[in-house]
Amino acid sequence: MTENVEVTNIDIEKDDDTITRILRKLNDRKLRKQAMWTFGSIVLSLFVSALIMVISGYDPGAAFYYLAVGAITQPDRILFYATPLILTGLSVALAFKCGLFNIGAEGQLYMGAIGATIIGYMFSLPILIHPILALLVGSLIGVIWGLIPGLLKAYRGAHEVVTTMMLSYTAILFTQWLVTYPLKEQGEYAWISQTPRIFDTAILPNLYGPYVHWGLFIAIAAVVAVDFLINRTVLGYELRAVGQNEAAAEYGGINPKRNMALALGISGGLAGLAGGEEILGTYYRFTDQWSPGLGWDGITVAVLGNNNPWGVLAGAIFFGALRAGGNTMHQVAHVPIEMVGLIQGLIVLFVAAPKIIDWLADNGQSFAIRMKSEPFPAIPEFLLAAISLIGGFLGFGYMFVQMAFDPILGIALLLAGITSFLSFAFVYPRNENGTLMALLASGIWIAAGIFGTVVAGIQVGILGLALGIPMVLFAIVLLRVHRPPFLMRRGDA
Amino acid sequence: MMQVDVTVLLASWLIAATLQMSTPLILAALGGMFSERSGVVNIGLEGMMLIGAFSAVAATYFTGNPWMGVLASVAAGGLLALAHGIICVKFKGNHIVSGTGVILFAAGFTTLMLEVVWGRKGYSEQVTRLPDISFDTGNQFLNAAFGQHSPITYIAFIMVIISWYVLYRTPFGLRVRAAGEDPSTLDASGASVEWTRTIAVVISGMLAGLGGAYLSIGFGSAFGKGMTNGRGFIALAALIFGNWTPLGVLLAGLFFGFLNGLQFAIQLVPGLEWLQNFTNFVQMVPYLLVIVALAGIRKSVPPKGIAIPYVKEEKVRCPTIE
Repeated sequence: MTENVEVTNIDIEKDDDTITRILRKLNDRKLRKQAMWTFGSIVLSLFVSALIMVISGYDPGAAFYYLAVGAITQPDRILFYATPLILTGLSVALAFKCGLFNIGAEGQLYMGAIGATIIGYMFSLPILIHPILALLVGSLIGVIWGLIPGLLKAYRGAHEVVTTMMLSYTAILFTQWLVTYPLKEQGEYAWISQTPRIFDTAILPNLYGPYVHWGLFIAIAAVVAVDFLINRTVLGYELRAVGQNEAAAEYGGINPKRNMALALGISGGLAGLAGGEEILGTYYRFTDQWSPGLGWDGITVAVLGNNNPWGVLAGAIFFGALRAGGNTMHQVAHVPIEMVGLIQGLIVLFVAAPKIIDWLADNGQSFAIRMKSEPFPAIPEFLLAAISLIGGFLGFGYMFVQMAFDPILGIALLLAGITSFLSFAFVYPRNENGTLMALLASGIWIAAGIFGTVVAGIQVGILGLALGIPMVLFAIVLLRVHRPPFLMRRGDA
Repeated sequence: MMQVDVTVLLASWLIAATLQMSTPLILAALGGMFSERSGVVNIGLEGMMLIGAFSAVAATYFTGNPWMGVLASVAAGGLLALAHGIICVKFKGNHIVSGTGVILFAAGFTTLMLEVVWGRKGYSEQVTRLPDISFDTGNQFLNAAFGQHSPITYIAFIMVIISWYVLYRTPFGLRVRAAGEDPSTLDASGASVEWTRTIAVVISGMLAGLGGAYLSIGFGSAFGKGMTNGRGFIALAALIFGNWTPLGVLLAGLFFGFLNGLQFAIQLVPGLEWLQNFTNFVQMVPYLLVIVALAGIRKSVPPKGIAIPYVKEEKVRCPTIE
């Protein structure tokens, strides 16, 4: 009997091929939750950016449509934009695995880029060897630039967030000096701070079309390599152990200092590789301030990809799609390209706090359950929360419009917006003071509406009353159902 | 005689430039101090300054009154900080990720709105500057050094004193420091760690926004894309170099402002032209000094509870009722 059981167990182990492993992973609760957080953050940030578009007078429907069309029709551009983001994202993610926050990938990128440029234009080398050497030197300088904060963190306890950030600015200033004075190209374009063009032998050739170059291959190879390093090697195990619990790792015989320094060193190397690859594949020379914030985007990509190498790849492709689609959105729907940066910032803000999604989901779920069991107080409560939320956004939106004409009305609308958001924040999780907050918000809305009718016209009045009156009604109904402790008379309890 | 006049003029000019350059740094760093002393890392100072600078110009443009611009900058900085505070304190998000989000959001939002409001890229239209406070001391040197400064410069120095008073002499200041050093003690004393931290973060955003307003309508008279240009990070450097205290922040801010003024002075002094090529290295000094300070040459100790979300102990619930 026992033997039989053992045999079946072994059989299952044998059947455990890649597909079942992936399936099992997909069913994992943790992964599902992670996916919910990521997609929830993306959806929420798209929602908020749509509201900002409405406020600033753009059509979010058209914007998102052309964003999607632009992304789908230009896969080569997506990969082109994604290439450096994969590498900088890996850089940030790898440091994260060791519990370190490499916020200075931008500086390491600049240092790597200048290293690759110097090899690229100062030395004459045969084809194939030239780009490889340039990339190696670039990454090596990146490693050094990452190792400095790593060593300072490990042996002097200097916080890596501050040191990497400060070294990042140092690197940008240093490379600026290099390309403005010693390495500057003389001649026709001497007014631009830039180096001469690299030799053709050093250029990374195009893989496909006019955009995608061999840097993409390098980036994907780096994903595989980092995945292998983190999950399949002793060093990766030690890095993760230090990242999980430094004290426990040390107790287990791992040297956390050495691993921290190494993690930031490798992280810097990846960012340096990104810089070198961009110079050799896209820019062909080092111009002052050439990077459009690739190192910063690396943080976004790593955060979105949950610091998993394959997640980083997906995150980078997502941002590449945003960029590629953003161009189309800009050209066709005339929405400024900065919208993409805004969406990116919002995504990072929402990803920073996965608990927001949990909070929304959990409270929504409890509302759904209660609406079935006791519809009377639950439905007005839910409607009150919804109106408050809408009122919050409308208050902020109209504030921008009205501020130009009448600052007092603008401030009143701002107050209405703030109190409406607060009302939502109290009513939605069923805080006992929620109805009072809703009453306050509705009062301000009605006052702003009446005042707005006088100074700005009837539309503001209609808006204020349309939001204020239902809020008052729902709030009064709810006050009768459950009195807040604030209004309780002695003996009521 | 002429030579003396030039030296005196240069010295007074350098003092004036130091005061001008250090104003935004001191304000933002004081803001960062409130936030970090309460236990919330605020690397988003740069973003809060940027949004403050933009709102100041926008409000001045629409109302014609630069003081409305100052109010708007304080409000906008405070609102952005409130978002950071809610994410970090209420939803226990990662402070640094959230701060990065604040920076990215502010950069995107201000450049977008620049195009929405003025329909152009890069620079906004010129608006009314905040009028300088100028007086005549009767001495050429003093006049040049202190005679003409933006009111925000005075506010910055007053803020240092107020911050010191609030932080060390009021119950709120005690709560802020307790929230940063030992939140569970604060919680046990009956005060709310979450509220204390949130208010401190909002104060930090208001001060940083005011610092941004100085850049756009105190010192200049327009908003430019990315005009804070890393000053938020230098403010962070001043905060660390100043050891998270108001006096330290003041001195570090003045020193970094002095370095900033120095690189312009280099261009004016005859005989120092060769140094012009090396102004980049002067600009690096604040960043490098902070690294040196953190590496332990000078002692820099952050608040103990920094960047750790405070989770209240679970209430004990009676299983029969649940």
